[in-house]
Amino acid sequence: MSKKSYAVLGLFETPDALMHAIPKLRAAKLGTVEAYTPYPIHGIDEALGLRRSPLGGMVLVMGVLGALTAFGFQYWISAIDYPIITGGKSAASWEAFIPIMFEVTVLFATFTAGLGMLLLLNRLPFFGHPVLSSKAMKGITRDRYALALEAESEAFDSAAAAQALEAAGAADIEVLPAPDRSPFLTSDYILRTLGGIFVACLVAGLGIYSLIKWFPLLAPMKYMQDQPRLNAQKASTFFKDGHGMQPPVPGTVARGYLPTATGTQEAAATLVNPLPRNKDVFAQGRKVYTSRCEVCHGALANGAGSLTAAYGAKPANLQAQQFRDYPDGKIYWAVVNGKNAMPGHAAYLTEPQRWAVVHYVRALQRAQNATDEDLKVVAP
Amino acid sequence: MSQPKPTPPLLLGAVALGAAGVLGTYFAAGPERFWANWVLWFVLMFTLGLGSLFIVALEHLVSAKWSVPVRRIPERLATLLLPAIPVGLIALGAVPVLYPGARPEAAHHPILAGKAFWLSLPFFTVRTVAAFVLCVIALAILVGGSLKQDVSRDPAFNFRARKFAPAFMAIFALVITLVAFDWISGLTPEWYSDIFGVYIFAGAFLSGLAATAISLLYLQGEGRLEGVRQDHLYNLGAFLFAFTVFWSYIGFAQYMLMWYANMPDEVIYYKVRLTGAWRAITFALAALHFILPFFALVTRDAKRDPKRLRRVALLMLGAHVLDIYWLIFPALGGSPRFAWPELSFALFFLGGILLWIRGAMQKGEDMPVGDPFLREGLEFRL
Amino acid sequence: MRTDTSVHAVPIPEGLLEPALTVGKVTPGSLDDQVLAFPETKPPKQWYLALAVTLSALGVGVACIGYTFTTGIGAWGNSSPVFWAFDIINFVFWVGIGHAGTLISAILFLFRKRWRNAIARFAEAMTIFAVMCAVIFPLIHVGRPWLAYWLFPYPNERALWTNFRSPLLWDVFAVNTYFSVSLMFWYLGLIPDIASMRDRTTSKLRKTIYTVLALGWRGAASHWQHYEKAYLLLAGLATGLVLSVHSVVSFDFATSVVPGWHMTIFPPYFVAGAIFAGFSMVVIVLVVVRETMQLKNLITMRHLDVMNKVILAMSCIMAYSYMMEGFTAWYSMNEYLHHGFMNIITGTYGWAGWVTISCNIFIPQLLWFKKCRSSYFWMILVAIGVTIGMWFERFVIIVISLHQDYLPSAWRIYKPTMIDFGILLGTFGLFFTLVLIFARVLPVIATTEVKAILPDAQPSHGGSHE
Repeated sequence: MSKKSYAVLGLFETPDALMHAIPKLRAAKLGTVEAYTPYPIHGIDEALGLRRSPLGGMVLVMGVLGALTAFGFQYWISAIDYPIITGGKSAASWEAFIPIMFEVTVLFATFTAGLGMLLLLNRLPFFGHPVLSSKAMKGITRDRYALALEAESEAFDSAAAAQALEAAGAADIEVLPAPDRSPFLTSDYILRTLGGIFVACLVAGLGIYSLIKWFPLLAPMKYMQDQPRLNAQKASTFFKDGHGMQPPVPGTVARGYLPTATGTQEAAATLVNPLPRNKDVFAQGRKVYTSRCEVCHGALANGAGSLTAAYGAKPANLQAQQFRDYPDGKIYWAVVNGKNAMPGHAAYLTEPQRWAVVHYVRALQRAQNATDEDLKVVAP
Repeated sequence: MSQPKPTPPLLLGAVALGAAGVLGTYFAAGPERFWANWVLWFVLMFTLGLGSLFIVALEHLVSAKWSVPVRRIPERLATLLLPAIPVGLIALGAVPVLYPGARPEAAHHPILAGKAFWLSLPFFTVRTVAAFVLCVIALAILVGGSLKQDVSRDPAFNFRARKFAPAFMAIFALVITLVAFDWISGLTPEWYSDIFGVYIFAGAFLSGLAATAISLLYLQGEGRLEGVRQDHLYNLGAFLFAFTVFWSYIGFAQYMLMWYANMPDEVIYYKVRLTGAWRAITFALAALHFILPFFALVTRDAKRDPKRLRRVALLMLGAHVLDIYWLIFPALGGSPRFAWPELSFALFFLGGILLWIRGAMQKGEDMPVGDPFLREGLEFRL
Repeated sequence: MRTDTSVHAVPIPEGLLEPALTVGKVTPGSLDDQVLAFPETKPPKQWYLALAVTLSALGVGVACIGYTFTTGIGAWGNSSPVFWAFDIINFVFWVGIGHAGTLISAILFLFRKRWRNAIARFAEAMTIFAVMCAVIFPLIHVGRPWLAYWLFPYPNERALWTNFRSPLLWDVFAVNTYFSVSLMFWYLGLIPDIASMRDRTTSKLRKTIYTVLALGWRGAASHWQHYEKAYLLLAGLATGLVLSVHSVVSFDFATSVVPGWHMTIFPPYFVAGAIFAGFSMVVIVLVVVRETMQLKNLITMRHLDVMNKVILAMSCIMAYSYMMEGFTAWYSMNEYLHHGFMNIITGTYGWAGWVTISCNIFIPQLLWFKKCRSSYFWMILVAIGVTIGMWFERFVIIVISLHQDYLPSAWRIYKPTMIDFGILLGTFGLFFTLVLIFARVLPVIATTEVKAILPDAQPSHGGSHE
């Protein structure tokens, strides 16, 4: 095969000369007639007897496929996998799918037209074609028109072909050798290609893996996450008193948090706890106590809270006899208005919460000073 | 060239029968139905004539060569504007009946009061007559001049037509927008859409193209217009194809924007057309005006095949009728109406239009023989 | 057999004859020597000078974008209720500039306007560069651009999908498709030209690069056949695409209920405006290219004349749209629409409205005069006017409509910052840098396409195929 010549090529000066030569050479039936020209020549397809390009059909099919793909994809996502209602439209509103359907149709169709033409129909890229290394190539991409008689079988007679070309008016006749080896389908080539694909896959896979790991963690701009703000229990230089948390401006009344015990503590002694003593109320009281009172008064209401040391203050030991003798109303008053260093909690606790915590404090006091009588009540 | 054939009695009979039905409609089915049909056919005639004239002017505007051999056909079709004038003047009788803006109550309507003078019958008439005058002038310059050139062979016409073409485009934009806003969206004057003129333009141009293709193929069937080849047919087919897509694009854009924004004053227009029996007609319109012709014309061969082209062009004319019907009739309220009144109007007007076109097709030479570009046009190949 | 046309032959009067597409004697060979020589020669000093200017502009833009990244988009003037401003104005502006390229390469190809061949390559390149400038803006406007890939619908660990009912997502698809298709179209056109460069260059490095890029193109008739078909199909598809892309961009606005945005005429009107602005940019660039690269014989005054006519036609379409907007504002009897329209001509930003109307409608009317269509001064004046006018048109649409919405208590005057201007300048720098580089490394004129329309390039009729 390698000793055989592949084709005989001759040059023409004008497209007219080329067109006149084509029928003569085709009639000679020495081989496939192919033309090489710097630009497309009108009517040469018919002259060479080329079959019609199937590209139109391919593009139509792929375009329709693109439209269906886009519709199916959008429908599945919007109506089935992740149905959220936006803008009051139904999850399967086809109207909104049309723009993307159109774009994907065009995308599929153009890639079929472009790549289908290059890769499938013209079998490019192909760097090993003998014409590419011919002397005539320089003219072909410039201003010469070439005709080639290409071998159809082993019986190709290059001398006869050269003669026929000359008779048809061609100049600079050149006999092109078949390439030493086909650039495709040698074991070496296949191995290298497969190796290349493998390496490419490896690199792409690693790259994508690391990108996916790394990208979402990227945060070049953190101002929105790390902004200066006041924490409730932290010191802050922003306020004069150095506290992060500030009591409400005196006289502030939050909605639903009416301060009721506004008189003196003594006057509040007559107030009666309106809440029943049941499980729910104690649970509520306990929740309020642990979140609001415990840091200072301690879990056992003995004045040994975790903040005591930090502040150097001495919160009341609610287990002291003085406080055990308090009527409910006086404890309630202290919760609402605060006492000594303790701030008022009127702005934070609703009326039922305040009374619930009173019940809970009572329970703590009784628990710390339990008698045998109490045990009898618990275990009937 | 060719002897005028005698008018087929069938056609005359159809027109006569239609005329009886038309009169009957007024008395038996009521004036509202009569005027709705009358306006429908006026709009159809007028848009067909305007669309054809637009094809002629477009050729002069862009100095197209390929269309010179077939130009005489749209020129002849454009003469349909002449019978459309009396039809339109009669159609003004519909204004107080069908157009809410021209009724006395409009003066107290919260929206219409402000533009009552615009919608009132006198101003409506002034605009319509002005549109007619402009059309007649354009017809005289573009078509009349071209017919005269057959004899005079004077290229001065080409200079004049090219000078006039841009002005015609301005006239055309004005007239087609007036048709859209006055005659069609005037039926529901609270509703507005600024693309509506373009929508009507797309339909008008398409109907002109379709009629041109059909007439061309008919004349070729009679052995006339020799020298017009597949390459010309291909271009006509390509234009038909492109403007089917354009019509759908405009129609869909308008629908999509209104559907998406869902503003009550706009969306009511589609609400009416997407409920009850109108819903089926809306989808039929989309199928007949877009999907069918699109796939029928998408391949290269289809655009060159006379048989296929004729069928698609007929389909598109039908779809255009449906389109205008779909624009006008829902405004009357109620479900779609199609019975003997509509049939008689179709017989009467279709017959009349065919009679007119038959006559028009004998006007002048079949090709503009005096046009210096005729030869280049005949030599056109893809 | 055809009708004997000689019977009808009326001589074409001189005034109707179209001037030739090339001036002087141009042969396929001379064309190659003229056009393909640029990449092989050293650029002149002026080129470096121009590059320095555009690179500095680009540098300013890069710095401003860098500042935005590290500071956040609070660095811009955007503020409630004007959440969209320069970023989206510039996006729409640049996408629009790109449309002229597709129009010239695709639509005029379908209409067989052969004059397009000489300018198509440059216009297509400008399309690609303009789209590159455009995509910058939505990316930096998302605030955290390193997460911009969230715009794509890909299966992810958050089990979320994108919202397909959002016009902004349609934009993602439209602009990406547009860029891919434009690039493919451009590259396909380049292949035969690169093959020519491959076969004429003497430098080994260049030869290798061109060999790879030309994919082994050898000009076989059987290849040309598929190639031409592919080109035709691509042109048809790109035509639909160019309509759709700016329509989708217009949907970003028109699907909303903002008065001044919700207009049904927006899709075709945006497309026309885009072509309008793009053609002006092409005229500006082509005049410079024609003068500095000595291409007067290929890019003739006829080309400029026709392009100016297209600009004029587009200006008239814009005038129709403006009038329809005004008419509808009145006809709708909708006080919001009315207020929005009055804002354009009398409001705080009324000056911007009048800049738009003057630059887009009034000034281009000069092109009715042949004198203006054939004078550099006037055509550049109009083209720059249109570029400014079209930028301001988007300003009018976006800022004027937003700054006074339905809620008067939220009204606010918008003021851009220096960063906004810096980024805009940067995209101009990027665009012209790419144009300058392109002009020196690739064939600026599609030599293959021009060769095909030279006199005697095609076999005379009556050849073997009839």
